[in-house]
Amino acid sequence: MATVYIPVSPLGAIPAATSAATLTTVLLASAHPVPGLAFDAAGDEAVLFQLDLRNYGSGNLTFAMDWTSPTANSAQVIWGADFLAYTPTTDSGALSAQSFATNQIVTAAHAGTNPQRVMRSSLTISVSALSNDDIVWVRFYRDADNGTDTMPGDAVFIGGTFSYSDT
Amino acid sequence: MAVLSNADRADVWAQWMRDNTQPIDVTKQELRAAFNAIDDWVETNSATLNLAIPQPARTRLTAAQKARILMAVVQRRFVRS
Repeated sequence: MATVYIPVSPLGAIPAATSAATLTTVLLASAHPVPGLAFDAAGDEAVLFQLDLRNYGSGNLTFAMDWTSPTANSAQVIWGADFLAYTPTTDSGALSAQSFATNQIVTAAHAGTNPQRVMRSSLTISVSALSNDDIVWVRFYRDADNGTDTMPGDAVFIGGTFSYSDT
Repeated sequence: MAVLSNADRADVWAQWMRDNTQPIDVTKQELRAAFNAIDDWVETNSATLNLAIPQPARTRLTAAQKARILMAVVQRRFVRS
């Protein structure tokens, strides 16, 4: 048994058709830009990741995400993910008729003292009807209208890794 | 003039958070309460402010022109020192 890791970058995200998180950059001290996806504080925004889960075995999908805040040094963000799997050739439904499974959310706190710290949060995505070699779409969003999302200003996703077991 | 509608207050609050580049140490709900309170204060005190403007400016300037004067003065006093 081994764990399979799929790194994802903000640059590889597919913008949602409406209310998409926007590409941004965070500058390092040397002025080199780190790409990020800015998720608004006042309304839900989302992107999609398309994954090819080769040799998927069993269990849930885990999404370890790195994020930061340009302006907040406390409070918390609610991150969420929806899941959709499609088995090529076998599934007969139209792609446009597919819908996401019930979302999963995680409360992610920004540790105090300084803005622009990078926080790492983990979201366990319960998978359903997932088979080996399925195409998977994960809708990743900030649940900004959730009453417990308290962080003012954008939350900026700068990268993450999906992982799963191959047996 | 009434206070801003809930939707207008939400728009202003949301845009302020997008535009802000300085560290902020309150929650977005606490920030929203500040917007609500300031809008309430403006509603309560706008007539007093108008009376403080000497003539003929008080009657010859439009409300929007007087509002822009207020914005300029407040910005110079508290934002750009």
